[in-house]
Amino acid sequence: MDLKLFHIFRNTPLGRETLLQSTYFCKKMGATPLVYIPVSTKFLMYFENDVVQIDLDESYLTSSETARQHASEIIDQRDLKPQFLKPRHYTASTLPDIPTHFDFMCCPRSISDLSSKIGLGYIGPRVRRIVNSALFPVLVTSPAYKEWQRIAVLFGGSSNAVNALKLGLRISRTTGMPLDVYTKVEGGSVDSYKKVIRDENLEKDMERYVKKWHLLEKGKFKDNLYKIPHEALVVVGAFGHGLVRDIIFGSKMEQLQSTLSNNLLIVGPKYTAQS
Amino acid sequence: MKFFNLLKQWRYPSRWRLFRMDDRLLLIITGAIVGICSGLAAVTLNRSLLFILERLHPYRQIWWAFILPGAGAALSSIFLNKIVNEGAGHGVPEVVYAVSRYGGLMRLRSSFSRLISSCLTIGSGGSAGPEAPVVMSGAAIGSNIAKFFSLNDRQRVALVGCGAAGAISAIFNAPIAGMIFAVEVVLGEWSALNIIPIAIASVAGTEVSRFLQGNQIAFSHRQFNISLLDITACIGLAAVTAVASIALTRIIRGVTGLSDRVSLPTWLRAAGGGCLVGAVGLYLPVVLGEGYQPIHQMIEGIYTPGIIIVTLAMLAKIIATGLTLGSGGSGGIFAPCLVIGSFAGLTYHRLLIFLWPSVPWVNEGCFALLGMAGLISGILQAPLTGIFLIVEISGGYEVMLPLIIVSTISTTICNSLEPASFYLKELVEKGHLLRPGTDARVLADLSVYELLEKDCIRVNPDMLLRDFIKIVKRSHRNYFPVENKETGWFMGMIHLDDIRPYLFNPGMYDAVFLEQIMNGQPEIIAPEDELYDILHRMDNNHLFSMPVVANNKFQGMISKATLLDQYRKELMVQTSR
Repeated sequence: MDLKLFHIFRNTPLGRETLLQSTYFCKKMGATPLVYIPVSTKFLMYFENDVVQIDLDESYLTSSETARQHASEIIDQRDLKPQFLKPRHYTASTLPDIPTHFDFMCCPRSISDLSSKIGLGYIGPRVRRIVNSALFPVLVTSPAYKEWQRIAVLFGGSSNAVNALKLGLRISRTTGMPLDVYTKVEGGSVDSYKKVIRDENLEKDMERYVKKWHLLEKGKFKDNLYKIPHEALVVVGAFGHGLVRDIIFGSKMEQLQSTLSNNLLIVGPKYTAQS
Repeated sequence: MKFFNLLKQWRYPSRWRLFRMDDRLLLIITGAIVGICSGLAAVTLNRSLLFILERLHPYRQIWWAFILPGAGAALSSIFLNKIVNEGAGHGVPEVVYAVSRYGGLMRLRSSFSRLISSCLTIGSGGSAGPEAPVVMSGAAIGSNIAKFFSLNDRQRVALVGCGAAGAISAIFNAPIAGMIFAVEVVLGEWSALNIIPIAIASVAGTEVSRFLQGNQIAFSHRQFNISLLDITACIGLAAVTAVASIALTRIIRGVTGLSDRVSLPTWLRAAGGGCLVGAVGLYLPVVLGEGYQPIHQMIEGIYTPGIIIVTLAMLAKIIATGLTLGSGGSGGIFAPCLVIGSFAGLTYHRLLIFLWPSVPWVNEGCFALLGMAGLISGILQAPLTGIFLIVEISGGYEVMLPLIIVSTISTTICNSLEPASFYLKELVEKGHLLRPGTDARVLADLSVYELLEKDCIRVNPDMLLRDFIKIVKRSHRNYFPVENKETGWFMGMIHLDDIRPYLFNPGMYDAVFLEQIMNGQPEIIAPEDELYDILHRMDNNHLFSMPVVANNKFQGMISKATLLDQYRKELMVQTSR
């Protein structure tokens, strides 16, 4: 089946960078970019058990008359065929419903707040809810266009991490790029992580596609992130910590964001990985 | 560690064993919770409205008081569109839309946004009612509680109905009307799964209202002695209320259309509509706010103005409601319908007395009640809601027979002139009303991907007929997609009928290429196409199978036989609830 990546286009230099990331991803994965040029600052995404209202900042409506042309030019440069999404259903006259049956979605680090807030160390609440509800992985791009030449999977042994690993293997298989797996050994022994791999029947794939499995036994999680190459696409499962842990210790996602400027492909709990 | 685990468990009540013992028990418990929350929302709005109305009352007689409804509507619009970022709308259609298309999924913000915006609109004097906002609030509470407990679509829809039922029950102190409204208007289906939690929610909502506000009958009245002549006269009243219903529907839509064409900010349009209502209210104060006060007088038979003033008041209320809701104010049409209906009943009664003064007609209060039922039934096209609402809010069953006559005839007339009710008209026009078990709903619940048949053998345009015949021998399909060998792009289709003329002429086997005989412009389907449209295209073009093409690449075939087979299975699922 034809893969589709959903992209909300912002007709600004920052939006151009994000679309460039999307088209690069599409080119590598053989996917088609499906671009939505917003006509109002809000829209709804209905997921299986949640409805997320995205309140875009006003910059998404910048120069709407040239938006389609600019987006087409960027997509054409990659020899991809641009497809534009036009909403068919409306919850209210100014509130379109955007379908959610994509294979990937590209988001800047925040889509609901002013561009000035977009930077390292911050993932907007809407992006988090999309990640939590979506059946597809979310590509959270770096602030400036950056081509990735390899894949790095952060594998912590959870079910989301297993899905992230399966996705990483799939991307490596499709793109032919080298794959590295990084595991911060916490609590249990290294064997517990190997057991997860064994239980998931991923041993053969690990041998075949993974260049190196980095088992990081020393140092803090944040410090170890330095080992991840700057030109890697980081595939990671959403960290599902509780509210109390997030408040006391801070979210791992925030730590990841504040340390890495790489493109992130985040796999949420609803994503069903295809190996 | 134990502390964290305990905390984690308490954070997710949906996983508590108590709630997971039995699905029906879970729905009853959550239905009661939703009913209580909806009741609280209704009481909160009621109290807030009273507070604002009392505070603004001393200013009503001052000449600049016409600005008040304008200011209220503007603030309401700003709150709705700028602060909570919620799209405009009357409330109930959004609930029906969520139930029809998205299994009752609603935003959390909807549980409070309309309460505040309608409070601003109605409290300042806008001609609207608090019922639709409370219904939306209750429904959103139900939807979010369902989300919290990780319930499935069917259970979520039931809880949305519970929210609507609890809200109507609480605001009118009318549990049966609440239940019937939820089932007749919001859900559009009676099922055992829905009716029990909805009944529980209605009781819970009513009890909350009675506990906090007392057990009051909204429009209690004296005994009516209804004769056969009065019942016969009800047929004419039904026609009058039907005309008033149609007029109200069309004026609201007309003003909405006019307002949409004005290139001013939404809050300014709402302010303009509100100021006009305020200006009318300076001369006819009955048009302001909910307008329940004159209803009491009419039902008691002590409303003194003559037929011309009463008729004028009815028309003014229709226009004021159109201006308030059409220009962007927030509120519902229940309360205006009750006011307009009672004026219609009074007008009709006075006309009867004028024409036949010697006939001992029943007290005019009875006709006011019947008029209310006629308006509600006509505009909602929901006769049972109209009948039971009036019975419950008037506290008497002696008007039951004429109520049935007025409600059913009014609904019938309105339905023949406006095939969809006020709430559903827009949804029907856009094809968004997908009631369970209907053709549109069954097709909407299926997707192109579910029906895709991928076992097609792809062929190339430069293939010789001889090679193609070999492929046909080992295939069980009649259709073959033709693809460009290099790009993989879809070029056309070959059907067995296309090769029939050459089949018995072996001399042509090495002379004909598939490119020469393929259909290069077949009817194709995109994956995002809706099955309702696909089926129509198949019927119109007499096709039994169509290729699905995405991004110039062949994805598979959709056949009518598979579609209808899946249709039957889906219909069985939907109707066996």
